[in-house]
Amino acid sequence: MPLDLLQGTLDLLILKALSWGPAHGYAVARWIEQLTDQALTVGEGSLYPALHRLEARGAIASEWRISERNRKARFYRLTARGRKALREESAEWSGFVSAVSKVLRANQQPAS
Amino acid sequence: MTSDGWRRLRRVLRPDLPAEVDTELQFHVEELARELEAHGVPAEQARTEALRRFGSVGEVRANCIAIDGAQQRRRRRRERVGDLLADVRFAFRLLRRSPGFTVLAVACMGLGIGVTAAIASVTHAILVRPLPYQQPEELVAVYSKVPERGIKASNISYADYVDWRDQNRSFAALGMYTWWTLAFTDGAGDAERVDAAAVTANLFPLLGARPMLGRTFTPDEERFGAERVVLLGHGLWTQRFGGDSSIVGRAIQIDGVPHVVVGVMPRGFAFPDRERAWVPFVPAPTEWHGNRSNAGAVGRLRPGVTVAAAQGDLDVIMQGLEREDPKQNLGWRADVMSLHDDRVGDLRRPLQVFLAAVGCVLLIVCANIANLLLVRGAARERELAVRAAIGAGRRRLVRQLVVESLALATLGGALGLIIAAGGIRLFARAFPAGLPFDLRLDLEPASVAITAGITLLTGLVVGVIPALRATDLDLAGAFREQAGASLRSKRAGRLRAALVVAEVGLSAMLVIGATLLLKSYRVYTTTNLGFDQHGLLAARVTLPDSRYQSPAERSAFFATLLERLATLPGVEAVGSAQGLPFSGWDVKAEMSVEGRPPRPPHDPLDVHFQTVSPEYFRTIGVPLLRGRWFDANDIDVIGDTGSWQPRGRVAIVNEVLARRELPGQDPVGKRIKFGDHASDEPWVTIVGVVGEFQHYRLPTVMGPAIYFPFFAEPGRNQALAIRTSLDDPTALAPEVRRVVRAMDAEVPLYEVDTFERTVLRSFWRQRLQGQVVGLFATMALVLAALGIYGVVSSTVAQRSRELGIRAAIGATTSDLSRLVLSQGVMLAGLGIAIGWVVAFVASRWLENLLFGVRATDPATFIGVPVVLGLVALLASWIPARRAARADPLVTIRGE
Repeated sequence: MPLDLLQGTLDLLILKALSWGPAHGYAVARWIEQLTDQALTVGEGSLYPALHRLEARGAIASEWRISERNRKARFYRLTARGRKALREESAEWSGFVSAVSKVLRANQQPAS
Repeated sequence: MTSDGWRRLRRVLRPDLPAEVDTELQFHVEELARELEAHGVPAEQARTEALRRFGSVGEVRANCIAIDGAQQRRRRRRERVGDLLADVRFAFRLLRRSPGFTVLAVACMGLGIGVTAAIASVTHAILVRPLPYQQPEELVAVYSKVPERGIKASNISYADYVDWRDQNRSFAALGMYTWWTLAFTDGAGDAERVDAAAVTANLFPLLGARPMLGRTFTPDEERFGAERVVLLGHGLWTQRFGGDSSIVGRAIQIDGVPHVVVGVMPRGFAFPDRERAWVPFVPAPTEWHGNRSNAGAVGRLRPGVTVAAAQGDLDVIMQGLEREDPKQNLGWRADVMSLHDDRVGDLRRPLQVFLAAVGCVLLIVCANIANLLLVRGAARERELAVRAAIGAGRRRLVRQLVVESLALATLGGALGLIIAAGGIRLFARAFPAGLPFDLRLDLEPASVAITAGITLLTGLVVGVIPALRATDLDLAGAFREQAGASLRSKRAGRLRAALVVAEVGLSAMLVIGATLLLKSYRVYTTTNLGFDQHGLLAARVTLPDSRYQSPAERSAFFATLLERLATLPGVEAVGSAQGLPFSGWDVKAEMSVEGRPPRPPHDPLDVHFQTVSPEYFRTIGVPLLRGRWFDANDIDVIGDTGSWQPRGRVAIVNEVLARRELPGQDPVGKRIKFGDHASDEPWVTIVGVVGEFQHYRLPTVMGPAIYFPFFAEPGRNQALAIRTSLDDPTALAPEVRRVVRAMDAEVPLYEVDTFERTVLRSFWRQRLQGQVVGLFATMALVLAALGIYGVVSSTVAQRSRELGIRAAIGATTSDLSRLVLSQGVMLAGLGIAIGWVVAFVASRWLENLLFGVRATDPATFIGVPVVLGLVALLASWIPARRAARADPLVTIRGE
């Protein structure tokens, strides 16, 4: 069963997805699903607002291009500011994950 | 490009947010459907399934549009601010690039803004700012009046006050005060007479005035025979008693009697005007209704009660008193006014006039600057055309030009603030006895706000007209330079001419008004007062209450004093009276002349009276017209001398009384008495008639007066007049002081000043009016002359080719200068005519500020236009001469 995405995590995943190059919203959603083996599905209801919010923040920029199948599509790409945000937020995320893992791996109650 | 075209272009360029979001989402759904199809789902079904999987398209769409819209608005705002900053930067760079223009314009505006802000600040401080009391809008002043006899805001009697206090239904509280003086002998320094006030105990609580130390008075202390107490002002406390707080509760000698200090009032407090100490008002046994000799009452209205309602309330009380005792109360009413009106009412009209005058000056300044900007606008036509061609809209250009004039105004406003600060302080100095304590005139937050407001307004007014004018561009014409430009410059020229006509008109008005006010002031200073104020020193002496109890002692003291003063070197004559001319002394009583028919009760013969020494009239330079002077033998007294009125056997009357009451007769030997014909006062024989002289301050007219010999009924409180041959009469003051101190160190000498200064000081409002409006009129005149000069010069520059051709085909230099002159003279003539008519109508507004000059004074209304015409002629003659002298070859080729 797909996990619900933590708030803010979607932004991080989008930035990561775009770090390989410009893509439209549909491709971003597909990539995330494929990379997580369908463990995470991205609902369109949250994907598009997240894309537009990131654009308003200046982390990504958009332009209209012609898709692989010759259709007009909105492509997003990472800006310099977005690249920086990706670096910082993924470091934070790793820190968070390892901290939580440490707690979960503990086999002894801490002395109080 | 038309503004319509711009709007279309902008619509094309601006992204259509909803459409973009639709396209994006539609793409997603289609991709999804395609993938499903690739997995074998039939096309129909694939599309339905894709939509189902997508979920709520509408919600996503709305979300995205909202996010994008907010973003777009933010960006646009940032751009606008950026544009504005760029305009501001550009404006200042432009001003730096033409320093001559900038300095001239900033100086002009600074002056205009500065004087306007000064007058507006002063007006705000005096007429708008509430008095520094608790809920000052509830406070009223109550005086007496007799409408039928034109008596207004006059003294009240204690008996009136008590009836008002006890019977009214309008006041939460009503207190009374009267002027007093107290001689301090304790503490540092000489014996000193201090201006004080006697107040009822409820007065300070009513005002909300709290002492800094100790307490105010209790009702018990108003009783006759209670312990004597005093409340000190902050200044007196620090100067005389070194700010010693242990003084509270101690007794100090005042007028030779111990008074316990009950408290000290805070710094800056003075009531009613500049008084420095207070004692409780203790009613004397003579406080009947007719004894209206106390300064006035102050009341706090109950919530919701108006001044008119309180007036009606007290009218009813006074009508009752009138019925009960017509002899004392006939015609007398209470005179109720807001305390604010009472304090500053007589400054309202002058301040309004100043505001109007300074407003005219500011308008003229604006017109001049607008004129300069129009000239610049014409010069910058090409620059503006280029900007318009590369896509700046008209609004954008107007904004840029307005920002430029605002930048100019801001610099002017900064200069104006400095000028305003100086102006306000200068204005404060005009008050001859210093500012009353409840007025503050200084550069305050309100004045800064006023200056900022005026600056903004000036910038907008100055900028908008030339900006609209300059951006009304005909692009092609501007590039083609000649043809279009000449038409446009003709239109701009008309606008500039109109501005100059307005300037001249406004300044004509101002100069006429100023001339009237200055003439009126001159009438004051040149009026024959009937006495000679030059070379006279005035002073006042009061004997302490506790000593000099018998008339003989008092009379002996003053006889010796006058004698000793007369022997001082440089002294020519010494006289004494109760009150000197222009000092404000004003005591009148009803009198009756023997053999005259009785007068109607509502129109008694009111006579100014006082006691004077034999030398008094000779000292101040008033001639004897008939009979004789008093002499040392005039000490006979009739009857009871314990009364408040003098009872000598003889009197001298003034010319007015003789002329009015004894026409065609020799007044000497006739008899006169206090009260009406039926009164039982003793008759007094007239022994002399003196010339009429102006005892009251102008413009009050001198009425009948009677003088009694001082030695018959000597008082405690006498004014001295000393005529000296010294150039500066005040040089005598130390000598006079020494003589008084040698006789009795506890007798203070005070109110020492020259007659001349006292008289001049009494004209302070007239002088202020003349000076302020005169200054503004001068500024207006100079600015208008500059305006004429500017317009005529630029016409000469524009028409130099035409003038050159005319010269080449034989026009003489005088032909040419006449041609140019006629333009300036026509503009000025039109302006003067308009200003003249407006002034003629509006001068009626000045009427009650004028004295001895009619508001339609013919000399002013004929003379001023002539002078203005000459100024205009001069202002246009300078450029005209330049035009005539120019070499035709140079000017023609110059094009």
